[in-house]
Amino acid sequence: MIPCAVVGVGQTHHKSRRRDVSVGGLVREAVFRALDDAEMTMADIDAVVIGKAPDLFEGVMKPELYLSDALGAVGKPMFRVHTAGSVGGTTAIVAASHVQAGKHRRVLAVAYQKQSEGNAQFALGSGKGASLGAGGAFAPFIRAYIHRSGAPEHIGWKVAVKDRLNALKNPYAHLKIEDISIDKVKASPMMWDPIRFLESCPSSDGACAVVVTDEEGGRTAAAAGRQPAWILATSSRSEPPSFPGRDPVRPAACLQCADDVYRQAGITDPRRQLDMAELYVPFSWHEAIWLEAHRIAEPGEGWRMIDRGETELGGAFPINCSGGVLSSNPIGASGLLRFAEAANQVRGAAGEHQVDGCRTALAMAYGANSQYFSMWVVADRLHPFD
Amino acid sequence: MTRFVESTITFPYRRSLGPMLSAFMTALTERRILGIRCGEAVLVPPMEWDPATGAALPLDLVEVGPAGTVQSWTWVPAPTEQHPVQRPFAFAFVLLDGATTPLLHAVDAGSAAAMADGMRVAPRWRGERVGRITDIACFVPGEQPELDGDDTGPAAQPVEIMDYNARITYRNPVPPSADRAVELSRQQRLVGMRCPQCERTYVGGRGYCPIDSIELGEEHEIDLAHTGTITNFVIITPVQYPGQTETEPFARVFVLIDDSDVVLAYQPTIELPVADVRVGRRVAAVWASPGEEIDAGGGMGVSLGALIGWMPTGEPDIADPDLVNRIF
Repeated sequence: MIPCAVVGVGQTHHKSRRRDVSVGGLVREAVFRALDDAEMTMADIDAVVIGKAPDLFEGVMKPELYLSDALGAVGKPMFRVHTAGSVGGTTAIVAASHVQAGKHRRVLAVAYQKQSEGNAQFALGSGKGASLGAGGAFAPFIRAYIHRSGAPEHIGWKVAVKDRLNALKNPYAHLKIEDISIDKVKASPMMWDPIRFLESCPSSDGACAVVVTDEEGGRTAAAAGRQPAWILATSSRSEPPSFPGRDPVRPAACLQCADDVYRQAGITDPRRQLDMAELYVPFSWHEAIWLEAHRIAEPGEGWRMIDRGETELGGAFPINCSGGVLSSNPIGASGLLRFAEAANQVRGAAGEHQVDGCRTALAMAYGANSQYFSMWVVADRLHPFD
Repeated sequence: MTRFVESTITFPYRRSLGPMLSAFMTALTERRILGIRCGEAVLVPPMEWDPATGAALPLDLVEVGPAGTVQSWTWVPAPTEQHPVQRPFAFAFVLLDGATTPLLHAVDAGSAAAMADGMRVAPRWRGERVGRITDIACFVPGEQPELDGDDTGPAAQPVEIMDYNARITYRNPVPPSADRAVELSRQQRLVGMRCPQCERTYVGGRGYCPIDSIELGEEHEIDLAHTGTITNFVIITPVQYPGQTETEPFARVFVLIDDSDVVLAYQPTIELPVADVRVGRRVAAVWASPGEEIDAGGGMGVSLGALIGWMPTGEPDIADPDLVNRIF
């Protein structure tokens, strides 16, 4: 497999409503930032991969057709990816696969959502009344986690505050809640018991793009003083939405996906060998759930890491230093944002929310009924554990 | 014969046009058609970027037309309500004077015999214009633009948003297994299909085991109890959106069916106040009355047909806190 690296990252400023741009205009903001970061132009790109959540969100069928020339893809291979909320991560993985396979040398991965054009609750409810929304679907999973781990209720509030404090350091983040506090989260309305309003992700317009290149491209960037993020491993897994005995708190697909990226990357002790992770946490409790389902913490121990402050920026194992999905949620792009933020951390390009000395990072996205999982591990060098 | 179920989805989308399309749509309300310069070319309708390279285009707009030349066309002999003209008409590529790319639009020429490549056409404007491509009702033969109805004048404000009422009707086939589950539910039977390999039981006419990829049929059917225990639940505060049917918080519960491994997820409750929903609560199936409209299948998931929800039995709760882990 050909080694590959991220050499360019770009994203939009995420907002509730980007009424000033078309979908094409929104996506191109992220694309040109990524190309500028990579010191490339559209002409340098060999293939384009685009991902977004269901077409019902914006009501534009097959947007990849409408966006092909907006993305400079005329005369080039272009691929649409769709794996529900994990799609942004899968988009990055598909882009990396083209390079790893030796098919293309420079691939642009783009993901977006313009939630303001439609309504997520409507779309997630398949266009019918009484939509549960994502919070309604996941609240029972969280209740089960709280029961089996014995975690106190303030854990969810703590994550909600931490990610919003991180967002204040991220110029692209959507939510900027200057006076965020435990009391404020606690006082916010109960949306889907036990999930409160401020423990939930926002609805955002936004896009993200990354440029993936081969080993030579990565080395060229490095020689020019632009640190690449070497992609050590990628993996995706899925499982059926429901069957007797399925455990959505510790999904088999998530464990298998994590095991697979760790094996590829040479990681035997993720807590020690990784420096940070960007995990897809749309509701605060999912930080604890995913810490355990990625074997970063033992079962029942994830919430204790949070309680001890270890997942804060500056903690022993920072999670979602960008502010995460809890602070910006252009759904289709949310997964790619995790992957891009992890890349920026190992590139030393995360600005104010940079983890000091970050050399290896995990990114994860999940989707649908906690049934699609996408992950990658990136590092500042190709063989960090030799 | 496969049975089909029809369902219609409607939603009022709000498109943000961006600076370039906004200028184009605003100009339409002024009965002007704009193109954009792209090197030597003039693109109509205008684009935000060079279609060949993706490069950004400066907002260098130029008025074209209003008349133009038909480059190519196709006759639509039997228009539907979705077509722009409600009598036989042509779809045509119209190269407007001053443009280098053709605009696709309708030409109302009366008959196919009146159509020809190279013919001259001009827009028939709607009297009431809102900033959409249909502000041009169609093109008509000749050099002179027409006005259809009383002129309400240009838009008072720049047109930046386009409302779009999407409506889609799906016709979904109901798999035989789901069809049968619905039919059995009419007889007030809750029937599961047990996988011969893993012995998991599936309800609602899922005609296969997703674990073993085995097709399940009538030989695998077993009748299930009509009572169960709530293992987990969610109370939903409804967010309002077009098509929302709920205004007050409502519950969805997970019911572990007695003497089985089956959990029915996200079930509606009946005569069970939201505040009284709890893990361990005993419930019984409630069936639709004969003749009452039911979920007839054809959706993405399983169909429970005439099983419309669960109500409390009045029995004491099951005191097993670990029930909460049985979500599926």
